[in-house]
Amino acid sequence: MTVKRILILAPLLVLVFLLQSYLWVPTYEQQTRGNPDRLNEFIAASIGDASLLNPILTADTASSQIEGMVFEGLIDRDENLYFRGRLASSWDVYEEAYFYVNDAASIPGRGKMPGEEIVDLLIRAKHENDLPDPGLKDALRNIMEVSAIPPREFEVFRSEKIPGELKEKRRIKINIKAPARIKLRLTSVDQDLFRHLTKILGANYFASFRGEQYISTEPDVSGVRLAEYAGELVPATENNPVLVFHLRPNVRFHDGHVFDANDVKFTFDAIMNPKNLSPRIADYEPVKTVEVIDPLTVRIVYKRLYSPAIGTWGMGILPEHILNHEALKKEAGRLGKDPDKFGMRQSTFNRHPVGCGPFVFQDWKSDQYITLKWFDGYWEGPPNYKRYMFRIIPDLLTQEMEFYAGTIDSYGVQPHQVNRLKTDPRFQCFSGASFGYTYIGYNMRRAPFDNPEVRKALGMAIDVDKIIDYVLYSQGEKITGPFVKQTDYYNHGIKPVPYDPAGALRLLAKAGWKPNKEGWLQKDGKKLQFTLITNSGNDLRKAILAIAQDAWRQIGIDVRTDLLEWSVFLQERVDKADFDALILGWSMGIEPDLYQIWHSSQTRPHQLNFVGFKNKEADELIIKIRQEYDREKQVKYCHILHEIIAREQPYTFLYVSKWTAVLDKRIVIRETDDKGNVVYKKITPTKTGNYNFYFNKWIKLRDAPDFSADG
Amino acid sequence: MTKVEKIEINDYQTTNHEFLAPRRTRLKEFWHLFKQNRLAIAGLVIFVLFFITALAGLFLTSGHDPVFDPALVRLQEKLRSPFSQPKIDTLMPHEIPTVGVYVMGTDDLGRDVFARMLQGAWVSLTVGFVAVGISVFVGIFMGGIAGYFGQNHIRLDHILMVCLLFAAGIFIAMGEFFSGSAFLIVFLASVLLLFRSMNKMEMRGMSKWYGILKKDTISIDTLIMRIVDIMLCFPSFFLILTVVALLPASIYNIMIIIGLTSWMGTTRFVRAEFLSLREQDFVTAARALGVGNFRIIFRHMMPNAIAPVLVSATIGIATAILTEAGLSFLGFGVPPPHATWGNILSDGKRFIFDAPWLTFIPGIAILIVVLCFNLFGEGLRDTLNPKLKERH
Amino acid sequence: MLSFIGRSIIQKIITLFFVSVVSFLIIHLAPGKPSQVDPMNPKFTPEMVERFRLEFHLDKPLHTQYLYFYRDLFTGKTVSWKDNQSVLKKIWERFLNSLPLFIVGTILTWTLSFPIGIRSAIFRGGFYDRSTTFLAYLLISIPGFFFAYILIIFVVTHFHVPVIGMETFGLGASSWIRVAMDRVWHLLIPSILGATGGIAVLSRYVRSQMLEVEGQDYVRTARAKGLPPDQVHYKHALRNALLPFVTMFGLILPGLIGGSVIIESIFSWPGMGRMAYEAILARDYPVILTVNFVSAVLVLAGTFISDLLYLVVDPRIRL
Repeated sequence: MTVKRILILAPLLVLVFLLQSYLWVPTYEQQTRGNPDRLNEFIAASIGDASLLNPILTADTASSQIEGMVFEGLIDRDENLYFRGRLASSWDVYEEAYFYVNDAASIPGRGKMPGEEIVDLLIRAKHENDLPDPGLKDALRNIMEVSAIPPREFEVFRSEKIPGELKEKRRIKINIKAPARIKLRLTSVDQDLFRHLTKILGANYFASFRGEQYISTEPDVSGVRLAEYAGELVPATENNPVLVFHLRPNVRFHDGHVFDANDVKFTFDAIMNPKNLSPRIADYEPVKTVEVIDPLTVRIVYKRLYSPAIGTWGMGILPEHILNHEALKKEAGRLGKDPDKFGMRQSTFNRHPVGCGPFVFQDWKSDQYITLKWFDGYWEGPPNYKRYMFRIIPDLLTQEMEFYAGTIDSYGVQPHQVNRLKTDPRFQCFSGASFGYTYIGYNMRRAPFDNPEVRKALGMAIDVDKIIDYVLYSQGEKITGPFVKQTDYYNHGIKPVPYDPAGALRLLAKAGWKPNKEGWLQKDGKKLQFTLITNSGNDLRKAILAIAQDAWRQIGIDVRTDLLEWSVFLQERVDKADFDALILGWSMGIEPDLYQIWHSSQTRPHQLNFVGFKNKEADELIIKIRQEYDREKQVKYCHILHEIIAREQPYTFLYVSKWTAVLDKRIVIRETDDKGNVVYKKITPTKTGNYNFYFNKWIKLRDAPDFSADG
Repeated sequence: MTKVEKIEINDYQTTNHEFLAPRRTRLKEFWHLFKQNRLAIAGLVIFVLFFITALAGLFLTSGHDPVFDPALVRLQEKLRSPFSQPKIDTLMPHEIPTVGVYVMGTDDLGRDVFARMLQGAWVSLTVGFVAVGISVFVGIFMGGIAGYFGQNHIRLDHILMVCLLFAAGIFIAMGEFFSGSAFLIVFLASVLLLFRSMNKMEMRGMSKWYGILKKDTISIDTLIMRIVDIMLCFPSFFLILTVVALLPASIYNIMIIIGLTSWMGTTRFVRAEFLSLREQDFVTAARALGVGNFRIIFRHMMPNAIAPVLVSATIGIATAILTEAGLSFLGFGVPPPHATWGNILSDGKRFIFDAPWLTFIPGIAILIVVLCFNLFGEGLRDTLNPKLKERH
Repeated sequence: MLSFIGRSIIQKIITLFFVSVVSFLIIHLAPGKPSQVDPMNPKFTPEMVERFRLEFHLDKPLHTQYLYFYRDLFTGKTVSWKDNQSVLKKIWERFLNSLPLFIVGTILTWTLSFPIGIRSAIFRGGFYDRSTTFLAYLLISIPGFFFAYILIIFVVTHFHVPVIGMETFGLGASSWIRVAMDRVWHLLIPSILGATGGIAVLSRYVRSQMLEVEGQDYVRTARAKGLPPDQVHYKHALRNALLPFVTMFGLILPGLIGGSVIIESIFSWPGMGRMAYEAILARDYPVILTVNFVSAVLVLAGTFISDLLYLVVDPRIRL
């Protein structure tokens, strides 16, 4: 019967056809042996796909990983996390400081002085040798030039919301009749300059300056707004740090176009363009101007002292010739889109990026892979790998299986697997601490968390070592404060809170919490009871939630727990500061700027200091740190701030987790020494634990090399 | 009626132990047929065992000081294999497992997998039962209305009033209480008006506008079947996933959503059964006797239509347990502290090389239970299918 | 006939309208905001969030948003919030990826199920029947991802070959046949996994339909005539048992776009299901809504086709 035969034979044939394909697929060994191309190719895997490949439009890790290879910034960080020149060969930092001549204030011993006389006074003071105050002496020595700017008049326009109306805005014309101004050029940035100058000009010289009297508005605005405009337009003093980058000559984009200072300025303008909705716009807000001095020099003037701003120039530089206004207009025409609505976000550039990094973009299949090819015109010499593949595999277990099958070259190991994979002869293992910590945060607006002793006691009840040993499988380190542990900002002298439930009970008893008959802690007839929350979908936090609940129950605290979906967790609980205690993690930048998370001005809803940490001393230090350009001083301030935070315990700092990555053992570093010989070296992580710092020198060999001879 | 006689004769022939077989009740006859399906019997037995386990799980793992504590974390004892001895010296007295060994090992936090499986049995069962309960309830309700009252038409004024009620609800939900309550008042007024006019309908001459209001639009049957069509247009797992992902994670949401996305099948065949039952003599007789609509529906028609619902409910429970496991895999399952077999399995899969029991114990448990539900359901279907009876 | 077609098309359009409204409401009334409007990201200032809301029309009332969305959809201008790609283009790409899985799965399901089901109907209650029943239910009952993991681990640890994704990476410049066969290999496990459930369900259904038909007089007549048993079963009985399958065949159409989220996530197969899942995670409303809409269209088209097929196949139905 034909029907029956077809119904049985057809699927069998299909199955046989499917099964025979097994014979064509390379096994782990065949992949490298039978196929020399495979050795020139590096395959990485990621859980998520990139969103866009344009460094100014994205902030997610997958995108950044690719962008880091295709684009190049002006600077980056070297092995020790100091800045290192990339597209910029060198840079200078100096300062231009200004202050208005205060007609009303009289200078001690000299009375009122016009601008020119103040200039003379300062120059004379600079050359005076026997100044009593060493700080003032240094500050004056730091001044390179003093000049007076004559008074000037100008007008600006602002639009502001009309009070009482929701959407309507009005335009305000502001006339400014600015008085004479003194300009100081400093050889290095000095945040204390004006404080020192008061010793010459009088304690109130700057404080008594009233900007309001020099401005008038049409229509009239009330006192507070006027003072705000005055503070902005006629500030008594102004610090303008200046950053000058000297660019590397003859660097080319992947399409052969030569890179120059205009590209830097263009990248900055693109970020600031509101049409592009760049998530990085806040980083560049302190920039006042970016000027192209000549094709290889860019001068960046900042509005105020803000030292972390230098790091933002690690941002990948966009090619102006592809993305400028005319080019976008042409592209819109080609695609048949409305040129007025067509911006950088709509451009196909975001899926076919062109940069001047070591790898050239080749191909992107959404949710499958992104391929890059080496850039043989790379200024530092092309990388060893000819191809870089970025695969997207959403499931960790299958990622692992692909690693075993040899179609991924590196695999980010989960903590519990470290011991098994470390001993595997096929692989080499690297590990290091990550730039982020996990903590339990307490809502300090609520009792009993308003008492630092209670917070400390809660921390003492939790055995962090136990969490690290058993939950993280020892893949973590204790942390005592909010700085990156590998940097020198971190104060290693601070002892972590000890695990001591009995001590915790003593501290709680001191705060008035005593055990009742059933063993629960009680104060004024009220049980010590609160809810600990975290977001769902994070196994580690879930485990810590269970452990913390258990640990606190042991000492008689009735803790409820709740897991919330991420967006609900943020919007309903964190943003509205509607929680008792929560488990969260921060990932940190290397810069020691703690303003957003720890400054007392950031405690309102939707801001990041949601625990409500307020400490005057800490506030001052936080401001000082972000204004300080001298690294040694910064380190000093950071250590003090670290101490304050460790004393106050607004968080129970738990741990920084360690990452571990395994690589195929056949991957090594290949270098050419001075004589032109090829040298192979074992891959070793840098001091800060970055194992792929020399990625461009990596290569895969046919057989695993034996490095035992040279240790 | 002839069919029934035929069955009896056939039964008598196939089982001829006695010359005159005693007349069996429907239940006995059913049991007799069911007994012959050994797979179904196995299914039933496991089903009963599972039910007992789940009940035991509820009692043994809940309360302040449970016999088996599924939430007890002993980090020093994590990832111990099944039947391993606890290290007594590192444990506090209350941390030592009740039976002396870790019967099913421990998980990555050192929690006793046996206790978690016990607790999970109850939770999984609840998820299955409640979800299916919701779907069966909605299904029977909608199907019953469509089948019994289907020919009645919805009039324009009904639609208007539903619109009013909706508008009121939406306005109140949006926080505009004033306009919301205004709509509510208009709604109540029109309900009153409607009842009054119903009484006096004959007396007053119908005005033109009133006539339009009373115009028939679509039949109830059409309406319900269109709703069913709309629901069937959503890809069900995708819809469940969307809603579960957008709503806060909770066991109730999951049960409700699984229930509310699976009632369409029940509605369809309850309606079909009702349509045919409605025309049968015993219903006509009941109506002639003046029995009320609801009594007819629940006392006379429902028992005759319930069999296929039971079958699909049994299989529905199995599907719900699997759906919950699938959701757990994607990270949207029943959230802790409730352990379900689904989330034990999906939590355990990370440890498949280091602690295979964390994957295999819940995986195989789900497999067995779902299998027994399916086999039992299949057996039921076979036994209840009148067309197939005669062949035995 | 024509009036039937006309009526049913109008009916389907009305249904589609309601589906679009319901799915729109479900998504927009749920808590949580699109991830690009992420207030937790320290780089997002409130002004940025506001600007995103303006850009995506999130500040408009719901009905306006609804109109905007469907206007964009019908003019093909809908773009994903995540990457500004055209949604229809994305769906088409994913559809092409899902297609081979769908085709292989469908072929296996719709061929194998019949002989299996028919045989167990013939030997009802016998060993073969009971073991296929058991096996079928075993396959239906196993949690899909559990099964998939066991298969993957088995293949990788025993054969040391890659199975994830659509192809082996790093093959370099191999011959075309090798590349093609490599792709076929990667198709094997996911499509078999997809087909097993289908075969189990469908073969059970074939069995019960065949049981209904086998008792009929004409089958008995055919057998009495002394026709070979295969001819009786596959010609006389099967033809008449086929009718309900016509309906089912129309309903496989939505499977084109459905895809299995779980299988695709595990095998990192860039298909429809995974795109939809990722869109849900990222709250990428345009993608979610479009996938929903397209699948609703396919469901309705499927039922429409099966209605038509009924008309053509069953001589008893005349309109």
